[in-house]
Amino acid sequence: MSPLLQIIGWPFLGMLLLFFVPRGRARIVRGVSVFTVFMSLVTALYVFIRFSPGQAGFQFEQTLDWIPALGVSLHVGVDGLNLGLLVMAALVAFASVCISREVKTREKEFYILLLMMTGGAYGMFAVLDLLFFYVFHELALVPTFIMIGVWGRGERRVYAAYKMAVYLSLGALLVLVGFIAIYVAAGAESFDIPVIAERLQSAPLSESTQSWIFAVLMFGFGILVALWPFHTWAPQGYASAPTPVAMLHAGVLKKFGLYGLISIALPLMPAGAREWLPVLAWLCVGNLLYCGLVAMRQKDLNLLIGNSSVAHMGFVFLGIASYQFLGITGAIVVMIAHGLLAALSFGLSGHLYNQKPGLRIGEHTGLLKEVPFVGTALIMAMLAGCGVPGFLNFVGELLVFFGAWGVVPWITVVCVWAALVVGAVYMLRAIRYMLHGTASNSGLNDINGAWLRMPYALLLGCLLLLGVYPGLLLRGIKPAVDNILPASDVAQVMNRGEVVDAMPITVGTEESGLSEMEGSENDSK
Amino acid sequence: MTELLMCLILFLPLLSAVLITLVLKRAAGTCGKLAIAAAVASFGFGVLVFAFESQWHGGVLLSVPWIELPGLSVGFGFLVDHLSVLMLLVVGAVGSAIHIYSYEYMRGDAGFSRYFAGLGLFMFSMYGIVVSGNLIQLFIFWELVGLSSYVLIGFWYERGAAADAAKKALITNRIGDFGFLVGILMLWGLTGTVDYDGIKNALSENPGVLGGLSTLTGLLIFCGAVGKSAQFPLHVWLPDAMEGPTPVSALIHAATMVAAGVYMLCRLSFVFLATPAWPEALSWLSAVTAPLVIAWVGGVTALLAALIATQQDDIKRILAYSTLSQLGYMVMAVGMIAPIAAMYHLTMHAFFKALLFMGAGSVIHAIAREQDIWKMGGLRKRMPLTFLVFLAATLALCGVPPFSGFYSKDEILLVAYGQSPGLFVLGMFVAFLTAFYMFRLIMVVFYGKARSAVVDKAHEGSITMTWPMVFLAVLSVVGGLIGVKHYLGAELAHGSVGESQWYLAVFAPFVHAPFIALIGLAAVVLGYISARTMYLGAASDPFPAGRALLARVLRRKLYVDEVYDRLNAVTQEAAAVFADWFDRWIIAGVCVRGAHGTTELTGRMLRLMQSGSLRAYSFWFGFGLVIVILISKSL
Repeated sequence: MSPLLQIIGWPFLGMLLLFFVPRGRARIVRGVSVFTVFMSLVTALYVFIRFSPGQAGFQFEQTLDWIPALGVSLHVGVDGLNLGLLVMAALVAFASVCISREVKTREKEFYILLLMMTGGAYGMFAVLDLLFFYVFHELALVPTFIMIGVWGRGERRVYAAYKMAVYLSLGALLVLVGFIAIYVAAGAESFDIPVIAERLQSAPLSESTQSWIFAVLMFGFGILVALWPFHTWAPQGYASAPTPVAMLHAGVLKKFGLYGLISIALPLMPAGAREWLPVLAWLCVGNLLYCGLVAMRQKDLNLLIGNSSVAHMGFVFLGIASYQFLGITGAIVVMIAHGLLAALSFGLSGHLYNQKPGLRIGEHTGLLKEVPFVGTALIMAMLAGCGVPGFLNFVGELLVFFGAWGVVPWITVVCVWAALVVGAVYMLRAIRYMLHGTASNSGLNDINGAWLRMPYALLLGCLLLLGVYPGLLLRGIKPAVDNILPASDVAQVMNRGEVVDAMPITVGTEESGLSEMEGSENDSK
Repeated sequence: MTELLMCLILFLPLLSAVLITLVLKRAAGTCGKLAIAAAVASFGFGVLVFAFESQWHGGVLLSVPWIELPGLSVGFGFLVDHLSVLMLLVVGAVGSAIHIYSYEYMRGDAGFSRYFAGLGLFMFSMYGIVVSGNLIQLFIFWELVGLSSYVLIGFWYERGAAADAAKKALITNRIGDFGFLVGILMLWGLTGTVDYDGIKNALSENPGVLGGLSTLTGLLIFCGAVGKSAQFPLHVWLPDAMEGPTPVSALIHAATMVAAGVYMLCRLSFVFLATPAWPEALSWLSAVTAPLVIAWVGGVTALLAALIATQQDDIKRILAYSTLSQLGYMVMAVGMIAPIAAMYHLTMHAFFKALLFMGAGSVIHAIAREQDIWKMGGLRKRMPLTFLVFLAATLALCGVPPFSGFYSKDEILLVAYGQSPGLFVLGMFVAFLTAFYMFRLIMVVFYGKARSAVVDKAHEGSITMTWPMVFLAVLSVVGGLIGVKHYLGAELAHGSVGESQWYLAVFAPFVHAPFIALIGLAAVVLGYISARTMYLGAASDPFPAGRALLARVLRRKLYVDEVYDRLNAVTQEAAAVFADWFDRWIIAGVCVRGAHGTTELTGRMLRLMQSGSLRAYSFWFGFGLVIVILISKSL
């Protein structure tokens, strides 16, 4: 059995086991959960180590037929693109199961749902089948709503859960429409992504078909990732969610939309992409700048982190919109970095909010003195969030900027401002009025003991390790990204001289950047 | 061998910082000793690299690929040449002295080990800037220096002022870095590489390679230096940064970090040699070139900071404004394409300014952390050694021969004389102001009578505080004569600067350009006399009498902070308020709730139809039937 199937299988196995554990045996419930996600993590690391970077195509592949008549099969495989995401998901899932200790009611049900979410998250990154891709995501999404409604915090949690459910179901529905359209239009009688890709390579869809399917997918996926202006579900949803759910959703599940855009929408519909990516480039300003500004005004740490998380999605959108090697590579790196960081930040703020619900920034100062471990980790997370080198986020943001510079220079400039200045303003303000300042006897407790600190240290350590040595992550990414970009662009990137010539030498108006894109589109015709 | 030495220089401080943070946190004394050992060892290895020059030939050593992607390859390596070795020595020498000095100064502080971890992180980042061979590596360490400065300014983070200052410093630096990063992107976009050598080659092959963006690129790169070297209009963070511990002010906010901007400009001076040009739409600006802007920004900073320094009462703030003013000189020199003069002054300034801060620290340490000069007085007798080294550093700063500052400042004024009469006059006036505010400080602090009780109990610190000061005092006195300029000249000037004997070097400025040296000296003497007549024995500041308005404007630092606060409130902060309002009421309110409400309303209305009354159902059935018939007939 492919190790990928094992990664997906462990949490589901754990879930099944939990059905038979008597209620009230919380220790056993926890033990089974931690053990199964740990096994997934180990297997994921094994895959990461054994992965051979230079090789093109998918590795660790396996196909199990499911509905042969429709061409649906459980086809798993990894390349440089989803490998990193899968490992990130395993790390985040492990960390969030570890800190689920905070849940004290209906533990059995909680862990069953949490494992279901985890298994779905692993599945969606590992499968290469459109239908399973969708199903695994839904499998992870449904428990999210239930968990926010039942175990969430705050009075508005029911409204938040509803809002999130409506938004995300709408997004997922659009995605489903897009997938079915692809299936029908491609006429390959198969949901298998490599098969469809091969088919569309030889017989591309007409441009108008590509255009509308891409638009449906872009907005469908976009809603799932909180693309501006469809973002308001996110900060509120995360603020109301129990900590492990916020960690898993913001860190891992949200990447479904981005991963889908990169690995499905872009390669299958290049002409549609060229038409719609300029729109995405503009919308990403909404994420980065607008949501950054909104974050500046937040008084609730969770809402601040939520808005900043939405803002960070802007980097990924910008990288995708650049449709360049560096930009897309950067987008993938930001996805992984953000996954680890969002989990870390929500984990830490969750620790504070469980003790003091409704804690506002400025209500208690000097927390660094009172809760040194949480304070230090939170400061590091916030610095990572405003792009300080040493953390993986910096690498991703840098690559996105380099990728986008030649395509949409003015938007890039605005995004650099949002990243370097606006990001620093809201993060440093939060540090100043929460962690710095006179200690105020808040009565908050720190996290003590190596075992309890481990999940946070793990996430932080990974951010630092990959940030210092991004080669670990970048090593296998090239063949995967080459697959995503149209063949002509890849050839161009290979020859650096040409790329420099193709770059808009004069940073003129926005139109010049966009006409550059249209120009190359004409060339490709 | 040089590779190994460079690795040790760079990573020893980081290693000590990591060890302190993770392992040794609780053993404060060991932390301090470890950090000192790391700093001194780094300096020692730097000296070895300097001594065994035959082992290296300039260029980037040991370049390890960090990002290796098509279109962008970034290496991590060590750039070793005269410029970087000189800077390594400066950072190492001042850094070691400060480490030793801090051991006593910071003793008993609850965050003793955190302090040394911060210093270690800083030394690592600073060395990193020095040895970078490409723009990305530079930018990474550039940001890390900003970060370590944030950590150290906010060292006493429980004090509101310190926490505010740390935040302000990092955000202001980030504004400069915004321009810097855009400039880097622009350079990469136009030349296709981020390596210094690659860009330099591209420019020497074709000076017009930057096209219409050449001036803009130069200015954006300069933005980085404006932030880090605290030039006008981003100078506001440096005076506030004095909230950090005094040794930190000496090392980071006087000698090294703030000099990083000048170092970067010298390093990248080839960018400013590109054919100046503006984009079409801005061609009416063609008279403005990047070097011209740089020179005047430097000049204006030198002047404004010196003016403000004359009316400050906090001993560290006076020195901070003095630092700004001297950095202005250096930037001015860079703008006049005289990187040797800039680096020369940078080196000398590092010695004497660090020393001034250590002297100030020694005073502050002795009189219970009091920083107001009007509460000091008469300290000359109580702290003779501090007085002597402080005086030596002041003479060096003012530019009195044969102290070090004289030679480097003379060099800059000489260039200005040849290139721009306006800047020359400005430079001379600043020289006068420098002497004025420094001797004002000396007259008030060290002469006259004690103005508060604590002063009577003042005494010198222990040997770990005094010896580092003496070490730097020696460098401040003889620094101008040890051949720094020649060492740089071999690197930066094309062709060698003639060697000469040290005893000839003492008088060299008077021989080469006696006019300038003498005017410079006259300005200093004038400044000294004015300060002496006004402040010797004064009980309070006599300056505001009759000049109330001027004094108030200077005391309020020209109201720059107030203007920025207002500016921020009506721009970014207003945008944030609007965005927040829009998010809350328009998107989440009108749109989302509106859609929600419309759906709900429709549902409620449809519910009314389900009344359960058979009569109503049959009525609606008949009504529907009629409608259907009507429609089908009309078709």
